[in-house]
Order: sequence, then C-alpha cells, then structure tokens
Amino acid sequence: MHKIRYIALKELFHILRDFRSLLIVLAMPVMMTFLYGYAINMDIENIVISVVDLDKTAASRELTDRFFKSNYFSMAEEAPDFDDPEQLLRSDNATAILLIRPGFSEALQRGEKFQLGMTVDGSDASLASAVQAYSDAILLQFLMDRLPVGFEPPGLTVSRQVLYNPDLQSSHFFVPGLVAIILLMVSALLTSITIAREKETGTMEQLLTAPVKPYQILLGKLLPYIFIAFIDGVLVLIFAQTVFDVPFQGSYLLLLLFGFIYVATALSIGILISSLVRTQQVAMMIALVSTLLPSVMLSGFIFAIKNMPFLLQAVSRIVPATYFLKIIRGVMLKATGVETLIVPAASLVGLMVILLLLATRSFKTRIG
Amino acid sequence: MFRAFVGLVRKEFIQVWRDRNMLRLIFAIPILQLLILGYAVNTDVEQLATDVYDFDQTRMSREFIRSFEPGDYFVTEPQLTAEEQPLWNLDERFRTGSAELALVIPEDFSEELNQGKNVTIGLIADGTDANAARAGLGYSSLIVRRFSEQVTGFSQPIELRHKFLYNPELESVYYMVPGIVATLLTMVTVMLTSMAIVREREMGTLEQLTVTPISSTALLLGKISTFGLLGMIEMVIALAVGIFWFGIPFVGSPILLFLLSALYLLTTLGMGMFFSTVTSTQQQAMFLAWFFSVFAILTSGFFTPISNMPHWLQHFTLLNPMRYFMEVVRGIMMKGAGPADLLPQIVGMAAYGAVIFGLSALRFRKRTA
Repeated sequence: MHKIRYIALKELFHILRDFRSLLIVLAMPVMMTFLYGYAINMDIENIVISVVDLDKTAASRELTDRFFKSNYFSMAEEAPDFDDPEQLLRSDNATAILLIRPGFSEALQRGEKFQLGMTVDGSDASLASAVQAYSDAILLQFLMDRLPVGFEPPGLTVSRQVLYNPDLQSSHFFVPGLVAIILLMVSALLTSITIAREKETGTMEQLLTAPVKPYQILLGKLLPYIFIAFIDGVLVLIFAQTVFDVPFQGSYLLLLLFGFIYVATALSIGILISSLVRTQQVAMMIALVSTLLPSVMLSGFIFAIKNMPFLLQAVSRIVPATYFLKIIRGVMLKATGVETLIVPAASLVGLMVILLLLATRSFKTRIG
Repeated sequence: MFRAFVGLVRKEFIQVWRDRNMLRLIFAIPILQLLILGYAVNTDVEQLATDVYDFDQTRMSREFIRSFEPGDYFVTEPQLTAEEQPLWNLDERFRTGSAELALVIPEDFSEELNQGKNVTIGLIADGTDANAARAGLGYSSLIVRRFSEQVTGFSQPIELRHKFLYNPELESVYYMVPGIVATLLTMVTVMLTSMAIVREREMGTLEQLTVTPISSTALLLGKISTFGLLGMIEMVIALAVGIFWFGIPFVGSPILLFLLSALYLLTTLGMGMFFSTVTSTQQQAMFLAWFFSVFAILTSGFFTPISNMPHWLQHFTLLNPMRYFMEVVRGIMMKGAGPADLLPQIVGMAAYGAVIFGLSALRFRKRTA
C-alpha cells in the first residue's frame, strides 16, 4: 500500500512543479466555467430592432413603447435608410425592422383587419424564431389591454407553467454540464499525457524495474488525478451555486458516488490512450480529438442528441459524458433519484469495463 | 530575393507534405470536424416528447390534439385518461425524461368553446433545457391560437406578418457552417504557424536557415505565405463541403470573401508567430494556440448571439479578431453583404492585423537574428 502512496506522492510533486499542468488543472476549470457560463447564453434578450412608424399616432407610439419596454427588444442606434432599409440587417446593426403603416390607429379603433410588417434577419434561426414569438406576444398583450374590462374573447387562452427552472435560465443547464466536461478533461487528458511522458523520457522502464507491480504504478499514478478531479468538480459546483445561482435539488452523496464512477471511466480512457501511444504530443492530440470534442459536441452538452442523425446518435452512446450529463442535470435540477439514474450509471460502468479490458490488453503486449 | 522566397515556399510545402502527422492535423481532422459539427450543431428544437392529459375526451379535444401533429416539433404520446396516467405523475415523467412538455385539456373544453366562452388550457414545460422549453411553449402557443381562430372564427384584428430574410426556412445549419469555416481557418493557421516554427527551432533547422544568405525578412515571408496558402486551401475545401454537402447557399461575392480572409490571415498568422516566440516546445505551442482558439470561438458569437452576453463581455468581444471575421463570413455568404456593409469589421481586422503582425514580425526577427 505505501508503495502506491510513494508513486502517488511522486506524481503529485510532478504536477505541482510543472507550471503548465498546474495551469490546466486549476486555472482552466475556473476560466471555462466563467466563459461558458456567460458566453453560452441561450436566453435571448435585448434583440436589437428598428421601428419605422409611418402612422405616427398615439396608438403606434404606444405599441412601439411596448416593444422597447420589454426586456426582449432594444432600439437600434441607427434609423433605417428608406431607399435600402435592409442595409441595417446586412450590416448586423439590427436583427429586425418593424413597419407600422399609416392607417394602423384607425383600423385599431374601428376594429378592422390590419397587417403590420416585420422584416427579420433569418440567418440565425433561433434568434429569428425568438423575434417572432416575442413580437407576437407583445402585440397580443397590446390588443388584449385595449379590450373593455370584463370582456373575454371567445377561444383558447394558454396558461403556462415551467417546472424546475421557472425563469428559464440557460446557465442552469450549462454549468452542471461543465462539471462533466472538466472532469473528463482533467482525468483523461492529464493521465494520458503523464504516462506518455514517462515513456518518452524513459523513466517508465526505470519504474518497471523497481520492485513495484504494474498495477501499483498505475494506481499510484491515478490517485492524484482522482483527487484533483474531485477538487475541480467541487470548485465548479461552488461557482455554479454562488455566481450562477444554479439550484442543487438532489442528493450530494448520490452525485459524489456517480461522480466517482464517471471519473473512473474517464481515467480508463486516459490509460487506454497512453498505452497506445509513445509520445506526449500524440497522446495529447488523440485525447483532445477523442474526448474533448465529442464531449462538448455530441454529449448533449450544447446540442440536443435527438436532433442528430442516427450515426451521431450512435456515437453519443459511447461518449461517457452523455451519461454523466443526464446524471448531474437530473440530480442538481430535478432531484432525480437512484431508480432513474441507475440506467446511465450502469452504462458508465459498462463502458469502463470495456475500456479497462482494452487497456490492460494493450498494456501487457507493450510491456511483454 | 524572389527566388529565395519561392525556394522557401517550396521547401515548406514539401516538408508539410512529407509529415503525415502534420497533414492529418491540417486536413483530415478539420474536415471530419466540419462534417460532424455540421450535423451536431443543430439548435432547431424538434420532437419534444409531449404528454397529453385530455380530461374532455370529445371529438373536438381529439381534433385539437391532432393539430399538434404536423411538423416535427412535437411527439405526442397517445392520449391518456385520468385513470391511466394521473396528472400528479407528471413530475415523475419529467424527472425520468419521458416527457418534456405536457398539454392539459380541461373537462369542459368543447362545451364552453362551443358556447363562445373563453377556455384556458394548460401547458407545462420542463425548464431544465431552457432553450427547448421556450421554443416548445412558443410553438404550441402558436398552434393553440390557430386552432382557436379556426373554431371560433374570432381572430385578433391586427396581425403581425413576419418576413424572414436570408434564411426563410430558418435552417440553423446555414448559420453554423459559415461559422465553422471561420473557426477552422483560425484554428488551423494559428496552430500550424506556431507549431511549425517551434519545431524548426526545436530541431535546430531554423538556425541553419538563418546562416544561409536568405534575409530574415524573406525567411519570415516564405513561412507566412506558405501557412497562409494552406489556410486558404483549407477554407476552400471547407466551403466546398458546406456548399455541396450541406447545400448552404453562397449569396455574396467569393472574391470579397477571399480578400477579407487574406486580411484576417494577417492576424492569425501573426498570432501564430507570436506564440512561437514565447514557447519552446511544440506541445506548449499547441496548448497556447488551442487555448486562444477556445477563447476566440466562445466570444465570437459562433454559438450564441453576442447581444445575449453580459455587457462587460460584449465589450470584451470587440478585442476578439475572430468576432469580426465571423460576421464577415456570415454576412457575405448568407446576406450578400458588400464592403460598405462590413466597413467596421474591415477596419477592425485591418487594425488588428497591422498591430499583431507588425509586432510579432519584429519579435520573430529579433529571435532569429
């Protein structure tokens, strides 16, 4: 046992002495949390629009006010040029132009049919559909408020209720996901590099000739990274709660337990990669391409898996982050219990067993 | 001078061609990334698993449910009666991820609707994925309104007619692929330049070159134009994949795009050179280049609009050269933007290019001299 401890201590010294590793281990998670937390914000607000009011009445001004008083829209700095109003959209100075034609206020008073026009820059599809939904809602509210008190128009009214995240804050969705990405990075990327480094510098052979068993070496090398992964995970969770106000509904113990399974799976990836390559550079490249990219792009971290074509959906099933994302989002946001999370957790264990089998096989052939 | 320059460019190309790892890094990985991203980066919300709680169970309520079917937005579960699936079970359905949206139709739905009364129906969304929830509520409200107008013949007098320019079908891939092109050009040129220069220094061949009669300016130009050219080839391939594979329209002028890309390359190549002067190993250079790319991509408006970000971050994005190029590529490809439309972006890129390229060229020459 204390042999393992020595190797673990040796590895810890390595990390603490190497400024770059320390940077990856400590500065990166913090910076990534802030960057992703703030930059990836799907809550669409302050869409810049411009209003062309040709009606110029109290009613048209009130409608315009309604648009800008909502948090959704803000006014473009420039007024559109009448000869080429779309120039505003082409140059990205506005996302939409609302056109109120003359006759609006008259039609409103008489209850006649009238059409307002809105030209929307459709290039960003999600922004464009947000413009459509918000502007429709504002107009509807404007019309409802003009109805006599007590009058209810025939037809349907919708009562909306949002569970778990009533303010629809997208950081609640992304920040827990970051834990999954960062844990994977620390565990898979760093372990693969550290073992490859021992191979490259030839110190691996020295270790192997020492009176320690290969599994002791491996375990000793992994322990510090489990420890670091734990610290990083806690760090991100603290930020999630203090800076981004992400709630924690479920059980800490459950998350910790499943977190260990996830970290063990990620470490197995690192071991597998390092057993396949000889140099740090190749290890780093493979680790980046095979872990970081799929974890960010194909795990459901940003983009919904069910929208992907079949082949990518299949790939997402062998990405460990896919399962841990389900677990951490469930525990943190919905207080999901063991009975539901046992399925993704079992998948993680399955992945880990396969990875470890592959790794020990190639490790043995390399050494033997 | 000119012959030395041509010789250098040839040497660089041969070197890249012979290095299998390098070739893979330059071509195979980015194209693979483009293909995967093109499919994965889909922010359209589709196929929301929707539970229907129909307490009315009449012909009209069933017709109402059917109005959710067209399109790919909702996947409605077979209607459930109160006994089969009590409403208090919804929490369970949400927590296990079996449902994301629930539609509740009250008992007296058809009766009151026929009497010309106002009926309130319930929409309950799982807010975990804020984006999907918002879109789901938005689409379903639209469907409810249409159905209501159809049944009662009563519609709001004033209507808002939306016209979507540049991307009338609202396909998110049209927006994302030009973004990926900008991302690839940045990552590849910054990484390539910094790593290639550092490698020559690591192997000592840079020193050999400096003792030849080639001036350090020619040496610099030779290296830079090679990497610039490779970046351009990369971009052409990426554009071809975008246009022929994903069917992305190219509305504007390709010549303008290439001119402005060349302008932008000054910045990325300068950045690469700068990284090569502050690092001593390829691994460090790669790490630094990668780190820069992550920052640049996240604050470029690639994934989410810059106007969504907090104000301090919006100001910060003005310092990100990729932000300008992102707007240029999207503007030219999707909107047919001309030089006048892109003036601020052009000025920004030119200023950036001049400063970064100038400073790092000075630094590079000092280190090689």
